[in-house]
Amino acid sequence: MKHSFQKILSFVTISAFTLLTLNACKKDKSAEDVQLPPEVKDHNLVLKFKAVIDTVPLEFGKSYQNFFKQSFSVKTFKFYVHGIEMINTDSGKVFRTGADKYFLVDFSDSTTTELKLAVLPYQYNRLGITIGVDSARNVSGAQTGALDPAKGMFWTWNTGYIMAKLEGTSPSSTAPGGVFEYHIGGFKEPDNVLRKPVLLFPFGQSLDLKPGKTSEITVTANIGAWFYNPHDIKFNENPVCTTPGVLAHQIADNYSKMFTVISVVNE
Amino acid sequence: MTLRWTISLFLFLLTASMLINSCKKSDTNRKGPTPLAFTVPPGFPQPVYDFKDNPLTEEGFTLGRKLFYDGKLSKDGNFPCASCHQQFAAFANFDHDLSHGFNNLFTKRNSPGLFNMAWQKEFMWDGGINHLEVQPLAPLTAPNEMAEDVNNIIIKLKADSLYPKLFDAAFGNPEITSQKMLLALTQFVGSIVSANSKYDKVKRGEASFSSEEATGYQIFQAKCASCHAEPLFTDLSYRNTGMPLKVGLMDIGRMRITNKSEDSMKFKVPSLRNVIPSFPYGHDGRFYTVKNVMDHYSDGVQSGPTVDPLVKNKIPLSIFDKFYLTQFLYTLTDSSFMKDPRYSEPK
Ligand code: HEC
Ligand code: HEC
Repeated sequence: MKHSFQKILSFVTISAFTLLTLNACKKDKSAEDVQLPPEVKDHNLVLKFKAVIDTVPLEFGKSYQNFFKQSFSVKTFKFYVHGIEMINTDSGKVFRTGADKYFLVDFSDSTTTELKLAVLPYQYNRLGITIGVDSARNVSGAQTGALDPAKGMFWTWNTGYIMAKLEGTSPSSTAPGGVFEYHIGGFKEPDNVLRKPVLLFPFGQSLDLKPGKTSEITVTANIGAWFYNPHDIKFNENPVCTTPGVLAHQIADNYSKMFTVISVVNE
Repeated sequence: MTLRWTISLFLFLLTASMLINSCKKSDTNRKGPTPLAFTVPPGFPQPVYDFKDNPLTEEGFTLGRKLFYDGKLSKDGNFPCASCHQQFAAFANFDHDLSHGFNNLFTKRNSPGLFNMAWQKEFMWDGGINHLEVQPLAPLTAPNEMAEDVNNIIIKLKADSLYPKLFDAAFGNPEITSQKMLLALTQFVGSIVSANSKYDKVKRGEASFSSEEATGYQIFQAKCASCHAEPLFTDLSYRNTGMPLKVGLMDIGRMRITNKSEDSMKFKVPSLRNVIPSFPYGHDGRFYTVKNVMDHYSDGVQSGPTVDPLVKNKIPLSIFDKFYLTQFLYTLTDSSFMKDPRYSEPK
C-alpha cells in the first residue's frame, strides 16, 4: 500500500516537474494569421519560378533577342511577390496565404525562387499573385526580411521600393556602356505599378491539395514579355527607367503578363 | 520513509523552480532596456513620428548616438553623420554652402539643421523621403556623401567588438540588422528637440523681449509667419521664393519627386529656429547672412510661373525692418540644445 502511494507520488512529482519546465521554456510565438488544419505544418505547396526568354531558360550573360530583334544579355532579374491567392472559380472559394508575407524572387539566388506556402487543402484552378510592394509598406519606415532595404530594391532619395528589376547590356542601347536598366517602382497614383495577375492552370490540370501531401506549381517568368504587348519598349528608345512615371507604368503593364503556369504536380 | 519522500519532493520542486527561473532569465525575466520619455514642449503640436512603434530607451538612444558619430558608417571612415551635422551649428554644417563627402565630392544641397525632426512628415529640401527611419539610407549610400553599401555597414558593425553588445542592450538580441540600425539612429535623431530659445522663454513667461526684438517679432508675424509658422517656424510646405536657378546645380526641387511642373523650383520651408548659427542659407547655401536672405525678399525675387504669391511682388522691408527682424531671429537660437552633453560625441 505504502509502496504504491510512493509510486504515485513520484509519478505526480515527475509529471509536475516536466510540465513546469516545459511551460517555463515555451517562447511567445506570434500567432499565425491563417487557420489551417494541424496536418499542414510548415508548407504543403511549393511555388517554383523559372526565368525564361520566350521558350528558353535564362542564362545570365548569354545573348538573346527581344521582339524587335535587338540582342541583349541579362545581368539581374528580380521582383517582389506577395498576396498569393489560391482560387476555385467553380465554388468561388479563395484562400489567401499570409498577406503580409513578402518574397523577393531573385534569379541569381536559387534559394529565393521556390516559395514554400501553407494552403488550406482543397481543389483550386487559378493562382493569383501580387507583383510589388503595397503602398502601406512604402510609407511605414524601416522594414526587415525580404523588404530589408539592404537588398538593393529601395530608392533612398525618393522613398519607395523597386518592385521589379531587370538589368543587362544590349548593343542597341543608347545609354553609356550599352547598358539597360529597368528599376520599376511607384506606389502613388497615378504611378502605382502594383500588378495582380491571375494565372490559369494548364488545360485539364488542377491543384488538388490532399491532407498531409505536398503539391508543386511551376511558373515561368518570361523576360521577353517586358518589351511588348501592349507597349513597345526598345533598347534604343528607352534603355533606362529608374523613376516612377509613365514609362514604369507601361513596363509594369507588359511584365504583368510575363507569368505562365507550366505545370501542377499533386502528390 | 515519508520524510525521505518529502525531502525528495522538495528537491524536485526546487530544481524545477530553478530551471524555470533559468529559462526565464534567457528571455522574459531579464532586465530590459530603460524606457525614456519623449516630452512634447508646451505649445507644440503632437509629433508626426510615433515612438510607440520604436520604443525610446536609454540604450537605443545611446546606440543611435554612437552610430551618428561613427565614421565606420561611411566607406572610408571619414564621414560620419556628424561630419555634416555639427552640434554647435544646430546640427547643420558650419560655414559650408555645400558639404564635403566621400572622394572629394560635394553634396548638391546645403546641409540643414537637425532638430524637431519628430514633427516632420517629409525630409530633405524636396521632401522626397517619407519617413524618418529610412532617411539615413540616403546619406549612407549616396556616392557623394558616405558612399557605403548597407550590407557592408552591417558586416562592419557585426565584426566590431562593441556593437553586438550595444544592439543586445537596446533590442534584447545581439543580432544586427539594417532595421535595428535605422531604428536606433531614429531614436537619436528623432529625440533631438530644440524648444528652449529666448523666444520659448518669452512664450513661457520666463523672459521678455527687448523693444527691438518685440518690434522684430511684430514684423515677422506680419510678413514671414505665413510660411515660417510658429511654433516650428515652418509650415512644412513647399514654396518657390523666386531664387534664380543656379547653373551647374539645376536643382528643380520638389518637381524631382512629384514630376509635376507646378512643383518646379519649390523647396521645403526651412525652420528658422537656430537660424543664426546655421549659416549659410537657402537650399544651396547661396546666402551667407540672414541679411542677404532679407535682401533677396525685398529686392531679389525673380518672377516665374511657380513663384509663391506671397513673395512674387517682393516683400517690402526697410533697413530698419531688417535690423529688427534680425534681432528677433537671434531670439530663436537655443544654445542649451547645442551644448546638451546628451547630444554630443560620445567619449
Ligand atoms: C556629406 C554630408 C552629409 C552626411 C555625411 C550626412 N548628411 Fe544629412 N543631410 C545632408 C544634406 C546636404 C542634407 C539635405 C539634402 C537634401 O535636401 O537633398 C541632409 C539632410 C538630412 C536630414 C533631413 C533634414 C530635413 O529637414 O529634412 C536628416 C534627418 C539628416 N540629414 C540626417 C543625417 C543622418 C542620420 C546622417 C548619417 C546617417 C546624415 N544625415 C549624414 C548632408 C549630410
Ligand atoms: C512664401 C513663403 C515664405 C515667406 C513669406 C517667407 N519665407 Fe523665408 N523661406 C521660404 C522658403 C521656401 C525658404 C527656402 C528657400 C530655398 O532655399 O529655396 C526660405 C528660407 C528662408 C531663410 C533661410 C533659412 C535657411 O536655413 O536656409 C531665412 C533666413 C528666411 N527664409 C527668412 C524669412 C523672413 C525673415 C521672412 C519674412 C520677411 C520670410 N523668410 C518669409 C519661404 C518663405
